[in-house]
Amino acid sequence: MCFKNLPVEFDAKGKPFLKGGIPNPYEPRAVAGLPKQLSESQIEELLRRNGHIRPIDFDPVTRVAGALAFHSVVDTQARKVVEARSMATLFRGYEVIMVGRDPRDAIFITSRACGVCGGVHSATSAMATEMAIGCCPPPLGILVRNLALALEFLYDHPLHLHLLAGPDYSALVVGATNPSLLARAKKTATAYGGVHGYATVGELMEDMNPLTGKLYLEALNMTRVAREAYVLICGKYPHPQTMVPGGMSTTMNLSVMTEMATRIVQFFDYSKKICRIWDELTEFFYDANPEYKKVGRRRANMIDTGIFDHPEAYDATYEHAAAWGDKRWATPGAVVEGELVTTDLHTLNIGLEEFVEHSYYEDWAGQGQKQRYATDPVGKPLSPYHPWNKITKPRPSGQNWKEKYTWDTAPRWDRNSMEAGAYARLWSTAVARKLPDNPFIEATGHSLNLRLPKGALPEMELTWRVPKDNWNAFERNRARAYCLAFTTLVTFANWLQAMERLKIGDTKTSTPFEIPKRGEQRGVGFWGAGRGYLTHHIVLDRGAVANYQILTPSTWNASPTDRFGQPGPYEEAVLGTPLLEETEDPKAFKGIDILRTIRSFDPCMPCTTHIHTGEGVISREINTCACGVEEEATAPA
Amino acid sequence: MRTLVGGLGYRNLRDHSLGVAVTDRLAEREWPDGVLVEDVSYNPIAVVQRLQDQPVDRALVVAAIQRPGRAPGTIEAYRWDGALPDAERIQTAVAEAVTGVILLDNTLLVGRHFGGLPEEVLVVEVEPAVEEFGDEFSPVVAAAFDRVCELVSLLATDIEAARRLPEASLGGGRGVSRKVL
Repeated sequence: MCFKNLPVEFDAKGKPFLKGGIPNPYEPRAVAGLPKQLSESQIEELLRRNGHIRPIDFDPVTRVAGALAFHSVVDTQARKVVEARSMATLFRGYEVIMVGRDPRDAIFITSRACGVCGGVHSATSAMATEMAIGCCPPPLGILVRNLALALEFLYDHPLHLHLLAGPDYSALVVGATNPSLLARAKKTATAYGGVHGYATVGELMEDMNPLTGKLYLEALNMTRVAREAYVLICGKYPHPQTMVPGGMSTTMNLSVMTEMATRIVQFFDYSKKICRIWDELTEFFYDANPEYKKVGRRRANMIDTGIFDHPEAYDATYEHAAAWGDKRWATPGAVVEGELVTTDLHTLNIGLEEFVEHSYYEDWAGQGQKQRYATDPVGKPLSPYHPWNKITKPRPSGQNWKEKYTWDTAPRWDRNSMEAGAYARLWSTAVARKLPDNPFIEATGHSLNLRLPKGALPEMELTWRVPKDNWNAFERNRARAYCLAFTTLVTFANWLQAMERLKIGDTKTSTPFEIPKRGEQRGVGFWGAGRGYLTHHIVLDRGAVANYQILTPSTWNASPTDRFGQPGPYEEAVLGTPLLEETEDPKAFKGIDILRTIRSFDPCMPCTTHIHTGEGVISREINTCACGVEEEATAPA
Repeated sequence: MRTLVGGLGYRNLRDHSLGVAVTDRLAEREWPDGVLVEDVSYNPIAVVQRLQDQPVDRALVVAAIQRPGRAPGTIEAYRWDGALPDAERIQTAVAEAVTGVILLDNTLLVGRHFGGLPEEVLVVEVEPAVEEFGDEFSPVVAAAFDRVCELVSLLATDIEAARRLPEASLGGGRGVSRKVL
């Protein structure tokens, strides 16, 4: 039993069923105990009565992928945020573009949703299609797909940690927003200097400086190393040429494996260093001011579908998804209030809903319309708000916090606002203790032990501990650093397995398939991006796409307040954030703690806003990853 | 002497695809030794890394890009003076580069900052009329296309002609584009 809010119960065998005797069981009723935003009238009253309460808008939020604007109202005396609204400001078109097309197009079209993580969309769409048509990759194909996506994350995590979020912790920014903190850093000896090479935290922060800092430049170089390995099997980055339903169309041989290995091994030492750097920064800030533990704090609610399949377990069927999901290197999971409530992919799937009360869309289910699917393919109940039942009805309008203010929807799981992230991957995996036997990663139930092989640095075991009682911006970044190490080990382990397959003469990487020209089929790709959860739900009708729905990590994270008044993750995290900047002048306020909070989620807005309108005012129509806004409003930190 | 002729733009974005359409056409021609015609419509950081691996002596970049006050179809060519804006703008360009944005100004700024570009950089810009999904140019840009191709060919091979171009900051002196596709 894991649903508290959905009208779903479980029988003695654990099979879910819809609760009986409830008219309109999925009708969204008030949910008790959820955090709520202040009402617009309450905010207006505060603004009217108190001169020290003022709006602060970030438009755009810089150093994130794509177009994100963030509206907040801050109390500069009490140093807290009283209102927070996340706005995805551009729309795309992928879900509607896909309707009527051959599903094979999805691999190439949806990839263009993002210039950071295009390959994840290719993989997820391939998996959704292979489930729909019943095509399972061969073992080597599964391993090569694992390798491709793991390498993509080895590009993605350093990029975020040191090019996007990292500058927030640099000497340049810290010196501007909290001079006393930088002064302290210069006098604080590091705890892990033997690994990362810095004697003081101040020196470390200098090398976090954008454009010139050594850590910044090193991260750029490491993204190249990962990318070079990736293109050996995918052709190019970020849009792969070799993903197909049923595997990969790559030729694997010793030469490719060797070239990959020379690059993978470079991440052994790099991971050790990055983990210790983010341990160093986190502990420094906490020690300097315990209030930093509240920056970006929210309930530990997170969701992940897991990733990196076992080559003998994955069979591409929905029927067995719970079984092969449990065998993944990163275990699927829903964590609610810090507790792992399920790892079952079916349960994760049927708990999904998307709401649009504050988004620029019409509700498709509010007037008792018949839903397309009452159940999933194995008879488990589905909400009319589930992606397989969703109908995209864009309705652009003006911005209004009471009504509509973003192009992002509000996905929920059991009507909880969940966040997605690389950290969710670690959390579920650590607690569930289901990952495959291997010599590198051990899950203890409350931590992950990561044994990184020798490079120039000695072999090292690092431990990431589940921060159950303190989930905040610093822990998100720290966990992402540890996810770099985790992913490095997953990459290496899959490389070893792929070598074993080649040694026995197995070079088959894909399974032939046909797209059925009759009947209706549906599938779902349960996969992940560098920044977490990713699903593509597909419905095929006589060989063409009838419905295509994408849920990305940032769809979850950037979501607006829902119909229950529950804020989305960015919003909730910012609402809980104290303002620790050292300024008394409201006009000099940079909002660094708000920005650190938002960036800790690793926003990727190009993936989030994938809806297009066929009517109404179109301000911009684009077909590949590139998002921005016309004007900069507030000067970003 | 090695000359890189780089076309930059998004495919299937009508006028904004001009840069790659030019290099697609020019790639079919015979070129003297040392002239490389390439599509440089990818992550500017990766462009930098490519140039660091295989340096060139001069670069010519062609793209459609919107500038304030310029009529659609206008062709503008200049020798870029290499002047860089403040660090914040460069950091913005880097962040956009690594997150997949393809933009002429970003490629040049990132390339100059990290030292991938040669001293001599020629820029040929065309003002787009439309910004929409599709594979056809607007009439005004279609009318300019052949001239752009011939201009680029000339500048790629005639050093003296290139030297006669005016020197200007990005945008031909109109300023860095703030519009990100």
